[in-house]
Amino acid sequence: MYGWIWRHLPGNAWIKALTSVVLVLAVVYVLFQYVFPWAEPLLPFNDVTVNGQ
Amino acid sequence: MRVVARTLSELCITVGALIVLFVVYVLFWTGVKADSAMHHQIDDLRDQWAKSPVASRVARPSPHRPAPYKDGKPFAVMYIPRLGFTWNKPVLQNTKVPTLQKGLGHYAGTARLGQVGNFAVAGHRRTYGDPFKDFPKLRPGDAVVLTDGTTWFTYLIDTKPYKTVPTDIGVIDPVPRESGFTEPGRYLTLTTCSPEWGHSHRLVVWGHLDATQPVDAGKPKALRR
Repeated sequence: MYGWIWRHLPGNAWIKALTSVVLVLAVVYVLFQYVFPWAEPLLPFNDVTVNGQ
Repeated sequence: MRVVARTLSELCITVGALIVLFVVYVLFWTGVKADSAMHHQIDDLRDQWAKSPVASRVARPSPHRPAPYKDGKPFAVMYIPRLGFTWNKPVLQNTKVPTLQKGLGHYAGTARLGQVGNFAVAGHRRTYGDPFKDFPKLRPGDAVVLTDGTTWFTYLIDTKPYKTVPTDIGVIDPVPRESGFTEPGRYLTLTTCSPEWGHSHRLVVWGHLDATQPVDAGKPKALRR
């Protein structure tokens, strides 16, 4: 799948590498900003109260 | 066949990277976010307090009941010297998940600061800045000092951390169960999770109001070096 992405990126190897880095950073950003904040409360670290809120 | 094996291994690498990233997020990034959020809350409070002069808030004996704490908003700063001389955290109203990501949470429905009843507060032990990381170190006699901008409230802890189950809501009763208190009084309850990274139990300590003094009178003894 990564090979497929690499083949479909435009430009020469340098531009492809640069685009890949930008893509990876974008994915990490989306994970940290949206996906992980949603997933984290589903784990037990938030349970600090005694009334189940 | 080769395509299947390659795709499968790429998938494994992706999942592994995801897990590593998530661990970084939980262990490190929530702390960074929470620290900045807590500073922000404390700055907000200080601004708010600086805007209305202390005298005008104290001198007027209010004929009305004081305004209720605003949901999800900070109303006090807590200091616990045992957890570190520079340890101070904002206390926000209610104990919902987003509130506890910005500071400590005051159980809605429990007493106001310094009033008769039980002023109950919950906080994270791990993640989101680890505010109550050293909770088990609390001992009878430790001071828990709070200020709402007009008054310093010094509570003294009376019990060692008490371990209980998450459904034990009696621990935040006005006269908390299992605390050893028998008569109505001005009590304090702090709760966090136990074990450190788990959610099967809760740790609780109780204290009572020992002294109050106006902010004009300077910091209470417990906070002086």
